[in-house]
Amino acid sequence: MPERPLNRICYVEDDEDIQRIVRMSLERVGKMTVEVVGDPTMAIEAMVSFRPDLVMLDWMMPKMDGPAVFRQMKLRPETQGLPVVFITAKAAQRDLDELTAMGAAGTISKPFSPKDLPDQLREIWKKLP
Amino acid sequence: MRAGDNPALMNPTSIAHGAAIAVSPAAASIRERADPRAVLADRVEQLYGQMWLAILTTFAVGAIATFELWEARLRELVLFWWGLVLLITAASCGLLYAYRRSPDRALDPGQWLRRLAIAALANGANWGFAGAVFFPSHTDEQQVFLAFLLAGMMSGGIPAYAASWPIFALYAAGIVAPFTYVLATFGNRLFTELALLVPLFYAINVAIAYRVTQVFHSGYRLRHAYGRLTEDYKASGRKLELFARRAPIAVLEMDAQGTITEANHAAELLFGYAAAELTGRDIRVLVRPEFHADFDLRWNRLIAARAPEAGLIRNPRRDGIDVLCEWTFTPLVDAEATLIAVLAQGRDVTAQREAERVKKEFTSTLSHELRTPLTSIIGSLQLINTGVAGQVDKDVAEMTLVAERNGQRLLDLINDLLDVEKIESGKLSLAPEVLAVDDVVREAMLLNKAFGERFGVRFELASPLPGCQVLADRKRLLQVMTNLLSNAAKFSPEGGSVQILMQDAAREVRVGVQDRGPGIPEAFRGRIFARFAQADSTASRQKGGTGLGLAICKRLIEMMQGRIGFDDRPGGGTTFWFELPRSQEEMPCPNAR
Repeated sequence: MPERPLNRICYVEDDEDIQRIVRMSLERVGKMTVEVVGDPTMAIEAMVSFRPDLVMLDWMMPKMDGPAVFRQMKLRPETQGLPVVFITAKAAQRDLDELTAMGAAGTISKPFSPKDLPDQLREIWKKLP
Repeated sequence: MRAGDNPALMNPTSIAHGAAIAVSPAAASIRERADPRAVLADRVEQLYGQMWLAILTTFAVGAIATFELWEARLRELVLFWWGLVLLITAASCGLLYAYRRSPDRALDPGQWLRRLAIAALANGANWGFAGAVFFPSHTDEQQVFLAFLLAGMMSGGIPAYAASWPIFALYAAGIVAPFTYVLATFGNRLFTELALLVPLFYAINVAIAYRVTQVFHSGYRLRHAYGRLTEDYKASGRKLELFARRAPIAVLEMDAQGTITEANHAAELLFGYAAAELTGRDIRVLVRPEFHADFDLRWNRLIAARAPEAGLIRNPRRDGIDVLCEWTFTPLVDAEATLIAVLAQGRDVTAQREAERVKKEFTSTLSHELRTPLTSIIGSLQLINTGVAGQVDKDVAEMTLVAERNGQRLLDLINDLLDVEKIESGKLSLAPEVLAVDDVVREAMLLNKAFGERFGVRFELASPLPGCQVLADRKRLLQVMTNLLSNAAKFSPEGGSVQILMQDAAREVRVGVQDRGPGIPEAFRGRIFARFAQADSTASRQKGGTGLGLAICKRLIEMMQGRIGFDDRPGGGTTFWFELPRSQEEMPCPNAR
């Protein structure tokens, strides 16, 4: 478990409505600092400058999907160590297992409960080495 | 096509067992298949077939005998005898002619046999008459001549009447009986001894005739049985041919090299070639070139092992468009395991596969495209309802609560539909682990506490079973519990309690959820676990629910090797229960009975 509490979250998501809900949930319920990135191709640069504790990735996005962003993160020294949580509407256990196998710290299924989202992230944060 | 019109060729079990199909007649009980009347008719036919020879011999030998005896005494008698010979010859000719002309001679062979027997007896008796009358009255040389003549005529009867020993016996008796009488009464010691020997010869001859008849008889029976067997084979061959030609699946026949020797109509339609165009071509013309290596591998394996092969093959049609077919290749071998042909049966599954793909795509779209906006809807409403987005007016808050609840209901329906789809397409896989039932039940109660409170219902664990373990999928077991608990809450009177009862038996653990509701209506009991089953649709609108929950529960519990059911009390109150097999690894339950 990391010593400092979970505070800075970078969220990559193309759907503006969900961006708003997550931002409100994390900022108001979770009292966290959130950087939302709408264009996945800009995600790496945003992470490098924002320096989050944890990254949340949507799976299905135009231009570049979540796993592709994840693979790119592995190539950059600034981002390769960041824990990644996928938020996905894919419900199949097989898909979720695939993400865990890729090295994701956790998965959260859509629809998630904005009330519980910060706690879910903190649970994942607690289990990190 | 599975029904298998021809058991030898289409027996699905022989394919399932991986055996090549052998074409060999069963040798047992072949003879029983012959029709006895047809066999007799054949024997009669043979007897009449060589009758002309007997007639000719009788006439010729009779003429020689008449000539030989003429010089001696009793000329009138010799002449009379010759007249008898001519009469018998003429009668026999008439009989033979009548037989030949009779169109339905095979219908009553016994009658023709009797007529022949009379002719044979008359013929034999005539020779016996010659022996009895002329032997005592002639010289020694003529006696020797007569004795030889009679012996020759008797033994000549064996081949002539070989197909029926009783006829031979009658014929020979006709010769021997008067002659023996004459020999016995001659008063000469040598002749008396001969009179004793002649019946012995007669007996031996009849015995030989009997044996020969037996051989003929069994030969004819075999011939008939094989004839009938051949007809049966021809008939089943025609049936198979018709079956293959009319079958809705493509049927191809090939030799060991893969050269097509026959193709049915369905194959013509499927691949766009006429059967005549396919005949003589290699089967690989119907396999995409990039799959030739794989096809050859499997073909060689089939030829080597004489074992059927099955699988999907992408087949190019004549117009270049591919069809995906499910094929079964079956080697056809004879009794010596020599390969006669290879039969291929192919079913076009292109449309079926496409439908499966579309269905999968639809499900995936349903999953993603419906859940994404629902995430926004339910999320926003939750943020309002929990006050995160700021305080709202009481009336607005009431409406947003209604909106959130119904959004959740829509999501439940989508999730249930996805579950049903997964279960029905066999794509739902479970992750069974050893679980403490108690823990899962308590967790489910905790998860559904808020739901129960909405209906003013408490969940109470009446009889816990600490430490009792089952092998089950945790997430899916929670889903089943959630379903049973929420159903119980919905149908309980407000302020009531729902009892969770756990029972432990030798092999399984039973978990029951007992409510104090109105019970299950009689008419609904039979289909309560069916899809979209709801006793009262007004109740469902009031309380939510998709009518899929119990159907899913049933399948999930069954997939975990368990059983699900319910007990209804007449006074109201229902207990829904499921049983799961206990884990083999566990320690015995503390209160195990």
